[in-house]
This record gives sequence, C-alpha cells and structure tokens, in this order.
Amino acid sequence: MKKQKADNQIKIILAFVFTVIVMILATGVGSVSISPSGIVAILLHKLFGRALPETVSASMVSILWDIRLPRACCAFIVGAMLSLSGALMQSLLQNPLASSYTLGVSSGASLGAGIIIVCGISIPALNYFLLPATGFIFGLGTVFLVLFFSARLDGNLRSHTIILFGMILSLFVNAILTMMSAAFSHHMQRLILWQMGSFAGRRWAHAGILLGICVIGTILVCIYHKELDLMSFGEEEASAVGVDTAKARRILLVLGAILTGAAVCFTGVIGFIDLAAPHAVRRIFGASHRYVLPMSALIGGAFMALADLISRTILAPQEIPVGAVTALLGAPFFLWVYFGGRKR
Amino acid sequence: MKAVECTDLHAAYDRRCLHTDAEILHGISLSLEEGKRLAILGSNGSGKSTLLKALTAMIPTSGSVSLLGKDVAGMKRREIASCAAYMTQISQIFFSYTVFETVLMGRYLHSSKGLGRYTEEDMEKTEECLKRTGVAALRDRQLFRLSGGELQRVFLARTFAQETPILILDEPTNHLDLKVVAGMADYLKEWCAEPHHTLIGVYHDIPLALHLADELLLIKDGRVAAQGTKEEILNSGMLEKAYDFDVRGYLKSMAI
Repeated sequence: MKKQKADNQIKIILAFVFTVIVMILATGVGSVSISPSGIVAILLHKLFGRALPETVSASMVSILWDIRLPRACCAFIVGAMLSLSGALMQSLLQNPLASSYTLGVSSGASLGAGIIIVCGISIPALNYFLLPATGFIFGLGTVFLVLFFSARLDGNLRSHTIILFGMILSLFVNAILTMMSAAFSHHMQRLILWQMGSFAGRRWAHAGILLGICVIGTILVCIYHKELDLMSFGEEEASAVGVDTAKARRILLVLGAILTGAAVCFTGVIGFIDLAAPHAVRRIFGASHRYVLPMSALIGGAFMALADLISRTILAPQEIPVGAVTALLGAPFFLWVYFGGRKR
Repeated sequence: MKAVECTDLHAAYDRRCLHTDAEILHGISLSLEEGKRLAILGSNGSGKSTLLKALTAMIPTSGSVSLLGKDVAGMKRREIASCAAYMTQISQIFFSYTVFETVLMGRYLHSSKGLGRYTEEDMEKTEECLKRTGVAALRDRQLFRLSGGELQRVFLARTFAQETPILILDEPTNHLDLKVVAGMADYLKEWCAEPHHTLIGVYHDIPLALHLADELLLIKDGRVAAQGTKEEILNSGMLEKAYDFDVRGYLKSMAI
C-alpha cells in the first residue's frame, strides 16, 4: 500500500509536469512563437504589473493574453470536465463503454443550438452566450427527460434502464435534428461546424464561467469518491455496505450532466477524451476514485489542450476539427497504455 | 433480543406487483434470536435470495421487518448496513481494484464522510479481515487476476470488515471447490463463535447448511414451509416436501 502510494505520488508529479509542458506549448507555438521565458514574462506583467523585457513585443502580449491563453485554458477545462464526467458515468453505470454523452446531453445541446441557428434568433443582452445557454438548457433538459422516464419505469434507476433511455432519447432528438437539417439545409453548415467542436475565438469570459463550473463540479464529485468506488461494483453491493445509492446516483448523474452540458455548450461535441482518459488513468493510477477523479480531470485537460494545439497548427493556417485530433491522437495512446500495462 | 424478525412480509421487485400474483414473497413470518445460525433452504426460484433482499430493504416490501429490535422501515441505509452485512452473489467485476482496496471499502460506514480518507484503524481492521479469510498474501493483487474461490473469500473479508453483529450471505459457496468450501465453513464458524454474532445464509449445499446452521427455514413458492431446529426439520419430512424430492435418501445414497 505504501509502495503503491509512493509510486502514485511520482506519477502525479509527472502528470503535472506533462500538463505544464503542454500548456507552455499550447500558448507558445503558433504563427508567432513565444519562448517559455517570454510566456512567464507576459504572465508576470499581466498578473503582477512587472515590466516587460525588450524581447517581448506588445503584439506578443496581445496574442498570448487575449487569444492563446484563454483558448488553451478553455481547452484544458473542457477536457477536464468531459473526462471527469466520463469517469463518473462509467463507474455509476458500471459500464466501461459509458461516456459523458450516454445520457443524451450532446444531442439535446445540438438540438438547442440547431433551433437558435435555424430560427436566426438573437438576443442582444445575451450576445455570444445565447447559443451556449440554449445548448446547455436543451442538453440538461434531455438528461432530465431520460432520468424522468427511467425513474417512471424503474424506481431504482438501474444502469441498463438509464443507458437504454439515454440511447432512445438521443436517437429521437437526433432524428428531429436530421429533419431540421433537411428542411433548412442552407443553415446547416453552421450547425455542423458547431457540432464538430472548436476552441477558436474563446475568451476569458468563457474560460471564467467554465472554470467556476469545473472547480465546483470537481469538488462535489470528489466528495463522493468512496461511494463511487462501491457503486462501481453494482447497486446492490453498494447498498449492502451502507451507501444510499438512490440519492448518490441522482446527485452524481445531475453533476455529470452539468459538467458535460457546460463543456458541450461552449465548444460543441468533442468525443473520445471522456471515454479514453478515465481508462488510461485507471491503468496508470489504479481503480480507486481517490486518484481516478482528479487525475482524469488533469490528464483529460492536458490532452484536450494538446489536441487543440495540434488542430490549429498542423495544417496552419487552416484548422482541423479538434474532435478528429482527440481520436487520432488518443487511440494510439490508449493502445499503448493498455498493451504496455498488460506486458508489465 | 431478536436479531431478525419479520411479520407478514410480502416482497416484489416492482412495487406495483405487491399483493398481486406477481409478487415473490407471499406473507413470510420469521423470528431469529441473537447468536443463532439460520440456513434458508428451498428449491430454485422459491424466493430465498428475495427474502434476504427483503430483510435488508433492498426491494419493495409490505409487512414489517426489524433488525435488532428496530423497524427497518424507519432506518436509513447506513443504519441497516451497520446492523447487518449482506454479501450478495458476486456479479461481474468491471474495474480492477486491488484486494486490499476492495476489503477496505467494507469500512465505509466506519470512515469519515466526504473527502476524508480511511483511517489507520480501518487499514488495521482490513489487514485483520484479510488474514481471517486467508487472502492476506493476495492483498496487492488485482481482482481480475483472482480465481472464483479467492474472489469469494475477498468479498467475505469485506463483509467481515463491516463489523456488524448480523451476517447475511447469499449462496457464499457457489461454484467453489470442496477445499475452498471447507475453508469458508471454518471462517464462518469461527465468526459465529463470537458472542452476539448471528448468521443467516441461503445455501444450495444442504450438507453445508446442516453443518453451519442450528435453525432451518424452508421456503416453497414464496411461503414458509417450515421453521425449526435442524433436528425438528429433518425428522418432520418437510425437507422432502419443500424440494419435492427424497433429500435424505439422496444424501444417504451419496455417502461415500
């Protein structure tokens, strides 16, 4: 136990170092490259009013502070939220294939965004928050419908009932979206772009809101780490040891839906990280949720920031969808973690 | 004091089925003194496992159940689990915890809530339970790498780690070879020898049930067919009625 704890402490330090390197790359690399010392100087200048060295120009400050840093932070936070809720869903539903999107958040949010785009609604007071707000409401609405129908059929809210209703409702909502696409095809390019997911143009306002939800959500989920350990063995086993599973499950499902809903509504639907990051973390740190929850958030966040960096630089000036990069980059990493672990 | 008592207990897996033909238990009454060892016997589908779930309020019921004199209906899940540890039939394992982590989870009720960790005392108790069921050498092994018998002993250790006065076991020796069954019987007898420890078990293995229990409850079609001491039940011929089969004749013919 002590050896495992010491091993895990070293791995945690390595994960933090990896995250810092990714964040330095994500903010330094681009059409204008900024050195790590330049990044530190700009951060000190912005945060503590320290004078800038001569090597750092005003345009560099603007590129880093106004464009790259908020974008990289958004990518990190969204990655953290998605993989935290992925880890949560997998344990809660006792299904290693479950993901943040199992409850239908993404299809609900897409429908909300689709309605705003097709109807051309604009509310000046909400400005660029209109689309995210609608997506969030529709995403959560879909989850609540899934939970409502599941609870009607099965008072114990068993995993397979939730997964089944999640799938049915997702397909139903997607069908509505497909019909809308057919009827209003001239609007659809914007919707497809939104669905693909992107961090382009994200500002500090987005990062701030996402950070608030992410921090509160992570703390609340971590409070349930012992319950999640027990619930990953099954409903009955957890109840037998004393977990109020009905209550814990409701709270955690809503938290998972809020984390995913907030991530999706600001950036669109980005897959793979929420599914793969928790599995990779379990391989590296073991199955205990004391490690799985915070480390999924850290590793998932770092990978999303890395995926975003690649998506904007590899074919620059053109950007490729970050969702494609997460799968292209994540699949080999996932295989390496899995097969590497097996050899040991 | 009565360890377990229930009166006119009806149970179903869906509340709407209670008091209809679809309910599983049709008015079971049972009473067990503290310190006793009860074996629940009956053929497949008679409602044995359902009775265990009903006693621990895992499924919808009507009628009354009390554990150590307290009505289960008014108890929270934590209170029920601190009276009676219930070892379910092991289902699939999805995530590979180590043996130590798994047994430590049995200390859930003894540990602090929320972000708090398990204490040194929890760790010591866990070590003790690992030794008690003979799996101490496997403490750092992943659950995926254990055999059925080892797994069963790990879950028994977790049930012991709950430190409850009542132990409820659902077919604890299913799929186990003879040596492991004998070992399990020893661990359980040792546990039962401690004062105020009450054991309730559902067994398919009748000789094991007779070896472990001092009282028997026979269930047939969701109703109590008979309850009494081992001797009373064996002499009454009720065992044969409950199983629709010459149980004693079969056991005699199997004597090697």
